[in-house]
Amino acid sequence: MDLVLQLLFTGIGIGAVYALVALGFVLIFRATNVVNFAQGEFSMVAAYLMVVFSVDLGWPYWLSFLIALAGMALFGVIFNLGVYYPLRHRTYLPVIIATIGASILLSNSVLAIYGPQPQVLQGWFDTPGIQLGPVYLDSQYLLIIGVTILLVLFNFWFFEKTLLGKKLQATSQDKEMASLLGISVSTMIMITFIYSAVLGGLAGILVAPVLFVSIQMGSTIALKAFAATIIGGFGDVAGAIVGGLALGVIETFGAAYISVPYKDGFAFLVLIAFLVFRPQGIFGERVAEKA
Amino acid sequence: MSASDNMIPAPAVRSKPLIIRHLPYFIGAAVLVALAAGMRFDGYILNILLQATTFSIAVFGLSVVLGLCGQINLAQAAFFGFGAYAVGLGTADLHLNFWLCLVGGCAITLVAGAFLGMSTLRLGGHYLAMVTISFQQIVTLVMINAIGVTHGPDGVANIRRPELFQSSQSYLAFCVAMLAIVGYLVWHLPDTKLGRAMRAVRDNELAAGVNGIDVFRTKVSAFAVCAVLGGLAGGLFAGGFAYVSPDQFSFAESIQFLTMSLLGGVASPVGSVIGTGLLILIPEWLRFLKSVPGLYLAIYGLSVILIIRFMPDGIWGFVSDAFTRWRAHTRAPPVAGALQLKPATSGGDIVLEVTGLSKHFGGLKAVDGVDIAVKRGSVHALIGPNGSGKTTTLNVLSGLYKATAGRIVLDGTDITNMAPHQRTAAGLGRTFQNIRLFRSMTALENVEIGAERPGNTMIGKGDDALTERAMEALTFVGLGNRANELISSFSYGHQRLIEIARALASNPTLLLLDEPAAGLNSTEKLELHELLKRIAAQGLTILIIDHDMTLVSEAAQHITVLNFGRRIADGESMAVLRHPDVVSAYLGSE
Amino acid sequence: MKLTRREFSAGLAAGLAAPALMRSAWAQGATIKIGMCVPVTGPAAEQGLWAQNGAKLALAAVNKAGGVLGKQVELVIEDDQTTNPGIVLAFSKLAAQSDIVAFLGSIRSTQVQAMAPDVIKVGKPVMIGGTNPDLTHSGNPWLFRFRPNDNYSGRVIADFGVNTLGKKKWAIVHSTDAFGTAGGKALSEALTKLGAPPVLDQGYANQSQDFTPVVLAVKQSGADVLGTYFTFENDLGIFARQLRQLGVNIPWVGSPSVVAVSSTKLAGPALFNTYGVADFAEDSSDAAKAFGKAYRDAYKTAPDNQSAWPYDAITILSAAINKAGSTDPNKIRDAILATQKFAGAEGEYNFDKNGDGLHGYNVVKNDKGKIVYDKHIDFND
Repeated sequence: MDLVLQLLFTGIGIGAVYALVALGFVLIFRATNVVNFAQGEFSMVAAYLMVVFSVDLGWPYWLSFLIALAGMALFGVIFNLGVYYPLRHRTYLPVIIATIGASILLSNSVLAIYGPQPQVLQGWFDTPGIQLGPVYLDSQYLLIIGVTILLVLFNFWFFEKTLLGKKLQATSQDKEMASLLGISVSTMIMITFIYSAVLGGLAGILVAPVLFVSIQMGSTIALKAFAATIIGGFGDVAGAIVGGLALGVIETFGAAYISVPYKDGFAFLVLIAFLVFRPQGIFGERVAEKA
Repeated sequence: MSASDNMIPAPAVRSKPLIIRHLPYFIGAAVLVALAAGMRFDGYILNILLQATTFSIAVFGLSVVLGLCGQINLAQAAFFGFGAYAVGLGTADLHLNFWLCLVGGCAITLVAGAFLGMSTLRLGGHYLAMVTISFQQIVTLVMINAIGVTHGPDGVANIRRPELFQSSQSYLAFCVAMLAIVGYLVWHLPDTKLGRAMRAVRDNELAAGVNGIDVFRTKVSAFAVCAVLGGLAGGLFAGGFAYVSPDQFSFAESIQFLTMSLLGGVASPVGSVIGTGLLILIPEWLRFLKSVPGLYLAIYGLSVILIIRFMPDGIWGFVSDAFTRWRAHTRAPPVAGALQLKPATSGGDIVLEVTGLSKHFGGLKAVDGVDIAVKRGSVHALIGPNGSGKTTTLNVLSGLYKATAGRIVLDGTDITNMAPHQRTAAGLGRTFQNIRLFRSMTALENVEIGAERPGNTMIGKGDDALTERAMEALTFVGLGNRANELISSFSYGHQRLIEIARALASNPTLLLLDEPAAGLNSTEKLELHELLKRIAAQGLTILIIDHDMTLVSEAAQHITVLNFGRRIADGESMAVLRHPDVVSAYLGSE
Repeated sequence: MKLTRREFSAGLAAGLAAPALMRSAWAQGATIKIGMCVPVTGPAAEQGLWAQNGAKLALAAVNKAGGVLGKQVELVIEDDQTTNPGIVLAFSKLAAQSDIVAFLGSIRSTQVQAMAPDVIKVGKPVMIGGTNPDLTHSGNPWLFRFRPNDNYSGRVIADFGVNTLGKKKWAIVHSTDAFGTAGGKALSEALTKLGAPPVLDQGYANQSQDFTPVVLAVKQSGADVLGTYFTFENDLGIFARQLRQLGVNIPWVGSPSVVAVSSTKLAGPALFNTYGVADFAEDSSDAAKAFGKAYRDAYKTAPDNQSAWPYDAITILSAAINKAGSTDPNKIRDAILATQKFAGAEGEYNFDKNGDGLHGYNVVKNDKGKIVYDKHIDFND
């Protein structure tokens, strides 16, 4: 039982990481119908920004944190203008490939600038964790889980209760109709990219103290997050969260009770199973295409 | 029109025997093979050439699945690995014959490719991308962890080559010969029935379906062909380098294959060779950038973005597009006879009988219990304000949506549960509100796809008959003299006419026209009206969906009116248009 | 007199200048070239940089001492991109330059395996750092290893744990890549020979984000000592932290990555009091100390095994060519194989007939973040 609880905590913790990154995927997908293969690199870039500000320049943690997120917002703008916007009238395929190109460009630019050594980034808390009965709770994972819950609430409030959120929703559901109603579609897409970059960045900064800051940190998480989005149902915010958590738990228990080396395989097996038997995911995406 | 016709890329029959027309290609290939065998290379050049040659064959596969069929495959390195491990394990561990292993590897990849292709049944686009990535990751994990079989990360060493090609030079020559043969087949694939089907699926899956193409089988075939080429390439690679290990077949390699394909031009094997060659050579040329780690790959990533942005069809696409445009203006299309329309008449007086048709999206009843009866030889119109459910009805009729309830009978055949391409075979032809032509093809090729409809009694055997029929249809709509031009060079109104010609070439029993007048100017509308009269004169039944009242009232004898998914009026044109409910639906509720 | 004196001074000047002139002319016109395949890009670019540093340091020393066969030595570097096809191309590119007399290959065993067929074809000596025992045991006469192979690391870990620490219940955790699998196997075999077969043999995939299941498996196995083969430092860092968090504090003896500079930095206190085998330990010998000092002076950072083996390889290769008196590959080969009792940074080199130079490891300890030398264990076979 102790074992199960410990695994459950870890699974939820790592699952929350997937969920955070998955959220960024879903937002961009809903707005543009495109999967952003560079989403993981958003997290990586933010973690490195954090290293620059907080470790290299020695600025206070909270200041570095805010500036890094602001930097990510700017990054979202640049990414949209450089990668998505010029291709917005083309099919999904060129855009997917462009984002793959962007992912290669980003990770290797960081490599060129910062070198290949993994970096250490301190967490928000000084205490590494707390022992709760038989279960050890890593403080950074607790923070990640907490932030994930907050974000779910925030997203609900933002998309359901604010005008901007509703406009974003309208845009993601029907671009033509939205533009007829006087919503600037390109502005909405820009806002989506900014928000998604900030979210991805937040995930990167939160996870860096656990996984260290390295060039590959984003791509490994992104693939899992990607699987999580599909399991949850593409285009659904709640689905991304549930999918991420489910994947984290499945993976951890699969590793513990079936096979550690094949751990990464569970994610993809579950994914394929979902794609074949329930492609609309747990929550379901309207798959009907307009003729 | 059996399955086997679809699977085997049979070369087209043209005026001169193919072998003679393509003699220059074979001579060129022979010269290359001789050079590969005879020239003295040092080990470095030899390795580069061997790598470029085998990789090119794998990239050919992508030019089929991505270029021809428009499906993304991010697992080509996995197939490449299958072939490589088949040859590696087979010759090194089991001491089997090289050829046996090569063929065995291809067979395994064929099955695996078809299996992966099956997932396209329900998935497209980003889902497919994800499935192929997952497949790739699982294959890599198995290669690493199934140590008992694959030797794990140690890889397989001491892979043997065939007795005949023991020296590196002769083996290279052999690989170049394989490249030439496979290249030839892939080059001609687009001109075969299967190739045309793939192009149609790529350009517009919906239109392909309603024009009689089995979209699913076409996609599976494309994946299978792609996988086999990957496997063949992998087998040759293993023989060439004598050592394989899992990291050579990772996701990163799949991305590299994809980039090679895109850089050179995804639509043609020539592009594949150019792209592969460049991406193998460029890193070698740019080795001076090595002083800063990551710089080279950063430039590589940037180039991918720029290529996609500015050279969407790759290097070869850029060159050949210019050439095609130039040739279209110089090559005069053949003269065609008059189009004969002979709609089948197996059923009774009512060609299309729709009873109680419903289509619900969740709680929304887009179409709710609609009845329509279209008389043979008539022009029937289905009208209604925006959002009334007309287009949904049409989509249910042509099979793009599955009916929630109700029955559709076409000329005595119940087509309610048929797939789009089966309905087309049963005699349904349609056009789309927002034009869905195969944009990368010429007008003639578009119409040929329509003419190829299974069960089209109006064409004889062979490609010449197909071309003739397509030319007749194009001439019928007045565009015969521009048959060899690409779709992009036609005006909107003319594109609409080509779409109608495509439907006519298939000699349908019933022609569905979805808002044919949308976006046309007044002259074009007049031309369209004339065209509809000429079609109706040949006895073809037409069902028009439109809200252009002039066109509808002049062309149609019979009108059905929908509003909020329900039928509110039905009957003779003039009477229906004066019906108070119809007037209020159009004017009152605004 | 005047004239004679002028003649005399001119003659003297010429006589003094001539050898110097000649030497510099030689140095410019003809150098001895050594090729080096090293990751400049890809996941191991970091390690590649250290390897280059080590090689260049040795090169500078060799050249300062007069070079090889009276010529300056030049290093020709090619990027192997950390991939197998990459190193095949890099090596064949170097091999195509006929004036390169010998090569430095990779520290990665699979890369060495990938290039091995070409090495046989080229027929020139290649110094390697890959530790898979098979590399020098499969009949390739041109591979010379400058690190102890994995059989020795496994034997040393087992010997140290069983005989020095007195622990018999072993848990083994290893990466499922080539290095980890071979190492785990060697350790397991060595333990079985010592009469202490492992109670847990657990593999994991590289770049795992979480090691909780592995740690819990170790915890549940009831092992009283842990032996590890980790490939990547960030994996090791995550594992070490989670191990301590979940309360596993048994002694830990691991492969070199446990005591690598960057693991120490990443894992912090979680790695305190662990032992690692290290082919390079700065305090293990005077030669190692000298190398450490020179490396620090040159690069302002502590050296690592990644830089120590190329340093030794260049040093021994240069000495061997000098001893052979020629660049004939066979003569160089004989001279390398004849190298005995050579004190290098990695240890004492006694080349055996297979081309293995080292036959033992240092055991070092992480003492509050400082790596201190504990003992050296050598085998004779």
